[in-house]
Amino acid sequence: MRLLVIEDEDRLSGILKSKLGEAGFAVDIAGSAGDAEAALELINYDVAILDLGLPDGDGLAVLAAARRLGKTLPILILTARDAVEDRVSGLNAGADDYLTKPFALTELIARIKALLRRPGGVLGITLDAGNVRLDTVGRDLTVAEMPVNLSRRELAILEQMMRRFGRIVPKAVLEEKLYGIDEEPDSNPIPVHVHHLRRQLQAANASLAIHTIRGVGYILTENKE
Amino acid sequence: MSRRIKSLQLRLTLELALLFLVASSLAVGGLIYSASLTAGSLADRELGLRAEDLARHVSLDNAGTPRLELPPELKQAYDAAGQQSVFEIRDKEGRLVDGSTPELGAMMGRWPAADSEPSYFQLSRFGPSGRDYSGISVQLDSAAGPLSVLVAQVAGGNQLVDSILREFVFDVAWYVPPFVGVALLLATYSIRRSLRPLRTVSAEASAIGPGSISIRLPEADVPTEALPLVVAINRALDRLEQGFTTQRRFTANAAHELRTPLTIITARLDSLEGNGQLSALKEEIARMNRLVEQLLCVARLDSIALDVSSPVDLRQVAEEVVGSMAHLALAAGRTIALIGADRPVVITGNAVAIGDALRNLVENALAHTAPGSEVIVEVGRDGGLSVLDSGPGIPVEDRPRIFDRFWRGKGVRTEGAGLGLAIVMEIARAHGASIAVSERAPSGARFELRFRPA
Repeated sequence: MRLLVIEDEDRLSGILKSKLGEAGFAVDIAGSAGDAEAALELINYDVAILDLGLPDGDGLAVLAAARRLGKTLPILILTARDAVEDRVSGLNAGADDYLTKPFALTELIARIKALLRRPGGVLGITLDAGNVRLDTVGRDLTVAEMPVNLSRRELAILEQMMRRFGRIVPKAVLEEKLYGIDEEPDSNPIPVHVHHLRRQLQAANASLAIHTIRGVGYILTENKE
Repeated sequence: MSRRIKSLQLRLTLELALLFLVASSLAVGGLIYSASLTAGSLADRELGLRAEDLARHVSLDNAGTPRLELPPELKQAYDAAGQQSVFEIRDKEGRLVDGSTPELGAMMGRWPAADSEPSYFQLSRFGPSGRDYSGISVQLDSAAGPLSVLVAQVAGGNQLVDSILREFVFDVAWYVPPFVGVALLLATYSIRRSLRPLRTVSAEASAIGPGSISIRLPEADVPTEALPLVVAINRALDRLEQGFTTQRRFTANAAHELRTPLTIITARLDSLEGNGQLSALKEEIARMNRLVEQLLCVARLDSIALDVSSPVDLRQVAEEVVGSMAHLALAAGRTIALIGADRPVVITGNAVAIGDALRNLVENALAHTAPGSEVIVEVGRDGGLSVLDSGPGIPVEDRPRIFDRFWRGKGVRTEGAGLGLAIVMEIARAHGASIAVSERAPSGARFELRFRPA
């Protein structure tokens, strides 16, 4: 998987190149908006990581140029917390995710993987979290390499949670996803499905835990013990 | 005035009042004086006319002796006057022609002969009546040749002149107090009016605070005399603002410059596999990251006026903050929940800033609540945004100070720099929102931001 890091701070881009390389990505560095636009035009990257503060122009201009070129690759914006307006306009301008500086490398890698896991993304077919593996095309679920049977709804919920592993999955998103599964009115509300899912994961000795964040949604994390 | 009067207005009014009193007394005194002069000269003229009258009625009789033949009404007047008026007429040889009073004749004998130029005199305690007289002595031509005529009248005997004089003085005196009063009122009004720009300036000046240092006092309508003071104050404010701005820019720049190396350190540390010391180091770096973020936030709040004019859905802001902080809460062994309104609660404000405030409150609550317990964010339908923890609570005596910058509770683990609540306070202030701290049963604290409904 090929990644473009658009970042003018050499020390930071150096670390990103080596650490993302260790995580299995081929990383190119562009130090300016001009370089970035040229690279994006030339090579079909799988993901671009874009720092908004570039010496020769606005990072948002790079984003707009990429979209103008018809590039649909996921773009993750790096921004400072005090430039939240940037992040809002970045998302409006077609960015797929953002991360505020300073960030944890693990978080960045998780976000990149989440972007790649999107339907249609490079990693979109198989999702891995802990000892759980979900084939989103074949709808096959294995826990510690043992197959586990789940209902379609439970699988759909688990898929959403695995795609956003470690991050909140708002209840509204789940509702939206479940609504498309079949036409018949759903008698069970989402908490009931989540409850079933949680029990079955436990029964299968999955190393994952589903946390309920009351009033907001759910988070899938790796079990601590 | 021994005691200094501080009010310029009162002092000017009092001094003007004094000035008016002195000026009007002088004017009245002058009027009375000139009126009495006029009265005196009127009396003198009347005496002269009487003398001429008397001389006109003197003629030579058959024997060639000058005689006074007064018409009956005049004669009656002189007789009936009860010595109100006295006269004496002598011919040029000094022989008595006629006279009203022997004492006058005796006196006149000792005087030099009258001249054609009238001479005036005063007689005190004269005659049987013992009254004061003023009179004239003059030489006049008559049918009987030159005569020395002397006429005197009881002083103050001229009632007409006296009464005119008295009436005049009385009238003038009567007019003085209302005149002084009206003039004082006008003066007070005009002083107040002239001082009004200064009051405006004072009102402007009292609005100047650390959050509004770019305000300058208006110089347009200020009186010339006060202008140097106002200009000097404005210059002082210029210098202060410059100092403030420099300091703020320094904070912002310093924090900003710190961020890049911090990002790099964070990334490098993240990529290291290590022992407990490394994770302690990571925690320290995380703390430093947070501090730098907060410093930047404070610097930003200080230097940029927050735009608080957009519609904000508090429910949505709370959902985003709770959602984005959930993994932090879980990592720290706590949970977090959102309760309250399940529909949008729209107020007017700045969503990003409100999110920052809420994030700080939640961070605070997570730091103080017991492991395993739940931090609750509650959105009220009426524009309330509360964060509840089950920590030890905030002692009542500390509550007024917890929003001060760099304040930290005594004996509290030194988690943060004490900037979080100061940031919350600044954001609340920019929104005109109130912030309340209260107890939560059985234990814990409740921070409530209450926004004005849109």
